[in-house]
Amino acid sequence: MKLDSRAYRFIDIAIRLVVGAVFIYAGALKIGDPLQFGDRIASFQMLPNAFVNSLALGLPVFEISTGLLLIVGWLRRPAALGIMIICGIFLLAIITALARGLTIDCGCFGTGKPSRLRMWLDLGRDSALFLGVMLAYRYPAIRARSAAQA
Amino acid sequence: MKLGEISKDLAAVIGLALLSLVAGMILNRFSAHPLPLMHHSPAERLQTELTHLVTAPPFESFPVETVGLNEFRSAVESKDDLVIDARSSSYYQRGHVPGAINVSREDFARDYVRLRAELEKAKDGPVVVYCSGGECHDSKMVAQALTSLGFGQVRVFTGGWDAWTAAGLPVERQ
Repeated sequence: MKLDSRAYRFIDIAIRLVVGAVFIYAGALKIGDPLQFGDRIASFQMLPNAFVNSLALGLPVFEISTGLLLIVGWLRRPAALGIMIICGIFLLAIITALARGLTIDCGCFGTGKPSRLRMWLDLGRDSALFLGVMLAYRYPAIRARSAAQA
Repeated sequence: MKLGEISKDLAAVIGLALLSLVAGMILNRFSAHPLPLMHHSPAERLQTELTHLVTAPPFESFPVETVGLNEFRSAVESKDDLVIDARSSSYYQRGHVPGAINVSREDFARDYVRLRAELEKAKDGPVVVYCSGGECHDSKMVAQALTSLGFGQVRVFTGGWDAWTAAGLPVERQ
């Protein structure tokens, strides 16, 4: 890509703000109602019951903290990698749920009505987040490389 | 990007995830409605709720008045007693004493709630409970549960389904 370093910097900041805000928002919606979120996780039928509630309690905190770190820029690489992993796991979960013919609400942003169309939209949104945060994760390396070339 | 950097980042992610888990657990401890560690489906949670509701008085075991076949038969025929089948619903569906309703020991709360109107109408009247017969305990347990819920005249037909069918008496199917 032939982009100058200022354009990269702008894209990086924009991605971090958007993805970070989405994750803080998603986490904040769920942190107050882990019971509901646990039901959503269970509806994917991928995790034994013994682990569902731990995930329902831990994931919203993780989403908020990685979102904050990504925006603030402190520990931004681990934050970006963490978000990538969450997005990746969710991509797998939604793809297998679609393949298994489940009709569920992902529970990503609190609660909604289960629908197949929504699941496809979730898949698209999550792919975009995944690609965006991958750029944000790689940005420090790209910057270092362009600095070395300059 | 070097592999070493990625694994360092990965270690930080794992650390962050563990911290988040601990923070989530701590928040949960101070929550007004803490989540148990084991997840239960909404249906299971409702069942627990109902069980709390129905067995509010602690369940106690105590002797119950029993009736013999002749007395049971006249109670069934006169329709004076509310007749309760305490076996599980699959047995009830295959055949039961005419006019009997199914309040099983296994799904007592569910059945009680389903038949609440009918049951509570009979609270002060005579009630007779049976199960398979022989060594079965379901009829006694259901009779005790009903008594602890305030039913006044609950008795048990100990001969049960076996004695009823052995005597060649009429059977109702559903």
